[in-house]
Amino acid sequence: MDAELLELARQFESAQQAKSSIRLSERNVVELVQKLHELHIIDFDLLHTVSGKEYITPEQLRHEMMLEIKKLGRVSLIDLADITGVDLYHVENQAQRVVSGDPSGLMLIQGEIISQSYWDNIAEEINERLQECSQISLAEIAANLNVGSEFVASMLEARLGTLVKGRLEGGQLYTPAYVTRVSAMVRGAARGVTVPINLSLLWGTLQQLLQAMDGAGGVATESSFFQSLFNGLAKEGEILGSLRAGVHWTPTVFAIAQRECVDSFFSQNSFISYDTLQKLGISQPVQFLQSRYAEGLPLVTAFAHPSMIEMLDAAVEDAIDRSSWIDSLSVLPTSFGSQDASKILSHCNSVQSALKGNKGMILGDSYVFSNGFIKEIVSELLEDGFLLLFMSTCIHPVNMDVYGRMEKELEVFRLSGSSGAIPSDDIHLVMEAKGRTDSGRSGEVNEKRKKKGKSSGARTEILPDDEEIIPLKSKKNQRKGKEASLVLSDTKKGSKKDSTRMQEDDLNIPSDDWIMQKILNLVPDFEEQGLEDPQTILGPLANYMRPMLISSLKEKRKTLFTENAGKMRHLLDNLQKKLDEAFLNMQLYEKALDLFEDDQSTCAVLHRHLLRTMAASIGDMLFHNLDMHNKMKNGINVEESPDSESITLGSAERTALAKSFPGSLSKKALAVVEALEGKRVEAFMTSLREVAEESGLLLKKLDKKLERTLLHSYRKDLTSQVSAETDPVALLPKVVSLLYIQVHNKALQAPGRAISVAVSRLKLFFFSKPSFTLVTAAVLELECHYVWCDSVLGFGGYAILPAPDLAYLDEDKLDESAFKILTEYQTATVTLLSLLSASTGDEEDCTSDRISSKRELLGDLMPALKGLVLGTTQS
Amino acid sequence: MEGWDPNTKSTLTQIPLLTTKAGPRDGAAWTTRLKEEYKALIAYTQMNKSNDNDWFRISAANPEGTRWTGKCWYVHNLLKYEFDLQFDIPVTYPSTAPELELPQLDGKTQKMYRGGKICLTVHFKPLWAKNCPRFGIAHALCLGLAPWLAAEVPVLVDSGMIKHKDDATSTSES
Repeated sequence: MDAELLELARQFESAQQAKSSIRLSERNVVELVQKLHELHIIDFDLLHTVSGKEYITPEQLRHEMMLEIKKLGRVSLIDLADITGVDLYHVENQAQRVVSGDPSGLMLIQGEIISQSYWDNIAEEINERLQECSQISLAEIAANLNVGSEFVASMLEARLGTLVKGRLEGGQLYTPAYVTRVSAMVRGAARGVTVPINLSLLWGTLQQLLQAMDGAGGVATESSFFQSLFNGLAKEGEILGSLRAGVHWTPTVFAIAQRECVDSFFSQNSFISYDTLQKLGISQPVQFLQSRYAEGLPLVTAFAHPSMIEMLDAAVEDAIDRSSWIDSLSVLPTSFGSQDASKILSHCNSVQSALKGNKGMILGDSYVFSNGFIKEIVSELLEDGFLLLFMSTCIHPVNMDVYGRMEKELEVFRLSGSSGAIPSDDIHLVMEAKGRTDSGRSGEVNEKRKKKGKSSGARTEILPDDEEIIPLKSKKNQRKGKEASLVLSDTKKGSKKDSTRMQEDDLNIPSDDWIMQKILNLVPDFEEQGLEDPQTILGPLANYMRPMLISSLKEKRKTLFTENAGKMRHLLDNLQKKLDEAFLNMQLYEKALDLFEDDQSTCAVLHRHLLRTMAASIGDMLFHNLDMHNKMKNGINVEESPDSESITLGSAERTALAKSFPGSLSKKALAVVEALEGKRVEAFMTSLREVAEESGLLLKKLDKKLERTLLHSYRKDLTSQVSAETDPVALLPKVVSLLYIQVHNKALQAPGRAISVAVSRLKLFFFSKPSFTLVTAAVLELECHYVWCDSVLGFGGYAILPAPDLAYLDEDKLDESAFKILTEYQTATVTLLSLLSASTGDEEDCTSDRISSKRELLGDLMPALKGLVLGTTQS
Repeated sequence: MEGWDPNTKSTLTQIPLLTTKAGPRDGAAWTTRLKEEYKALIAYTQMNKSNDNDWFRISAANPEGTRWTGKCWYVHNLLKYEFDLQFDIPVTYPSTAPELELPQLDGKTQKMYRGGKICLTVHFKPLWAKNCPRFGIAHALCLGLAPWLAAEVPVLVDSGMIKHKDDATSTSES
């Protein structure tokens, strides 16, 4: 029998003998378990799996979970639910119990259970990496581990120094070696810095350095890392300095240097400007200084020691006592501004008392003026009559004459000024200069110096006087380049400026500029002081003085006005009288022009002649007098020139005068000027009438009676002139005029050129008119004579004159011969005149002979001509 | 294989199949065949045990293994009815299936040949012939006897032809 077969039989037997397993259906089992629960045989919770086919006790579940956790160290609850096949809810519940009940420090984080051993492993890994790279960022670790970086940080902090050999700083892990290296860099940089610096700047450079060392792969080091290292070093005293606002590092070296610098400057100069402090890096200089020097005085731009006030006090007191002025800036250091000066002045006792006692005043912040000084200037300005001049310039904006006069007066005042008030100022100036150089010294020395300064000031008193005189002498001349002429050039420039300004300036009130200029001229040491811009002080001073000046100016003007009132009346009366006379004559002459109406060219010539002579003199007289009147009205003292009647003005002057008249008068006066330039006498007459009306003057019209009288007197006049005339040339026009009166009863004013025409016209008359006309004329003349004699009562002189000669009544016979004489004479005169004009003046010339011969001829003819008009003598 | 209930079918497919085609007169080949028979029987028995479905005990009655005797049982209404089982391996085996005999039930049911040999369903023979020589004793028991018992015993018990013997062997639970 086969052994194998036997074996199989035996196996079969045993298989049949084996107890068969007992099987229960699921339903039965579930019922059984329920039954057991009901019977409290099972008295604990049973959980079932997701599939619903298994029961599991919580302990078992926990156990399984623990197993899983131990296996991996870190399991998520979702994974656990999958692994155990239990609902997530139960897993979560049990997980909490597991974690809380576990002594080894399990933790439940973000749905994950993590054991400490897991962290230990991680920490070791990190350590390995850290040793390789020398620094790792926490964020990187956290990203790798899928946990929050804070959590990683807390985990690592517990293991720093044990598992992880390194240092955690601002989200970065560093190896100690790295830390020491960087801290050495920080120390080096911090020690190297000697001026205040913003630390972030420093960190920036260090970072660049590190990156350069590490190459491109170097991780950017956080500046907070530097900062913490730096803080540590500063705390340990390895680097000295102070930290402000966390980033501003001021090294001790710098602070010491700064303090020493301030101390030395302040003790040497007894002041220090804030700018200096700012340059030294002190941002709040006032507080800084006040804390250090309690006795000091904080000003606007600088900080001053009380000794500075004492010094200024002394200077100001001196100036006020001597009724002078002082620029406190000149005493104070140059870095002081005007605001500083005003502030420091407010601390001066002398200034306070002066202000209180009305002895002085502060102008333009830094200038102290004594009242005496200001009064002096004002009175001088007024006395000097600058204001009068000023007023005249107001009236004639472009009046060179007046300007020239003003210049002269200006010089006079310079003379008087330099000999009067100015020397005292100069002493003062010298003193100031002394004081300025010594300002840094102690008070004692200062005082001594001041005394010395006084004496030396007395010595130098003459010197500035000389300087004053020099510019006067060389004022109009070209200035010589001498050493002392520095001042001179300044004044010259000033006056030049003045002149231009004066020309431009036609304001009605004295402008600031003007006053300033005057002050400058009065007190030249404003400029001598070498101020860059004297306007700074002169402006306020002028401003201050202007009201005073204006009020006194007004007063003065008023008085002048009353003074002038009488004169004005007198002037107007005079003018009226003169004007009447002249105007009547003018009208007379105008009538004569009617004779030549038909001859255009002659008429024009005659018109022009009349305009040039009579009309022009009338216009000029009127203008001149109106101008005088105007000035007086404005309160200006005008000397009435005795020769005012014989004024002749150019057309330009006339225009200027016309323009200077007020308002509508000016326009009308301009029309007169224009008419004078024109060709028609009528135009002139109308415009003149208008002007006269405007200025309140009356112009008389010519009436018959008046005309006759005038003609008569004119004829008388001419007759006497003709009889007295010896010059053959001058005789002719007079004779012609006389003839015209005799013949036409018209007064003719004819220029040389028109004579020939006039003569030819006479001829026409002689031949055409019957002689009875002459007779009637003579009769009329006679009547006139008597009337005239009546009107001039008691003028025996005229009465004795021979009655008009009626001899020419029979002159009709002589007509032809008379005319012949006349033409002959006229031609002779013309020849003589032409010869005269052609003659070279040479003695040997033949023309002279001819002239003399012509003269003789004329001389011969003269009696005949005279006889012609005078009648009686000849016949 | 229609005509069989699903339990039977699934069980049948799990019984290892035989490979050697040899009858009792084939000598060594029969021995090989017999070994395979044993392996299949062991597997079938273990399967039944594990499924809590143990229902027979057999063993070879002669060393050649041509005659087998044993017992088989069926539980009905919580009562276990047990019967003797015997059968011979026919000479034409495996072409011819063995005739399973339950001598105690001879004459008590119509589904039985004389001498207590059970009548198999019409499906059995073609199936066996189709699977020759892969089917063996285990398959014959599984396909033949188990369905017969499940069908006939309740009928016999209800008709009162067989009774549970009071002094019967201790019944297993259920």
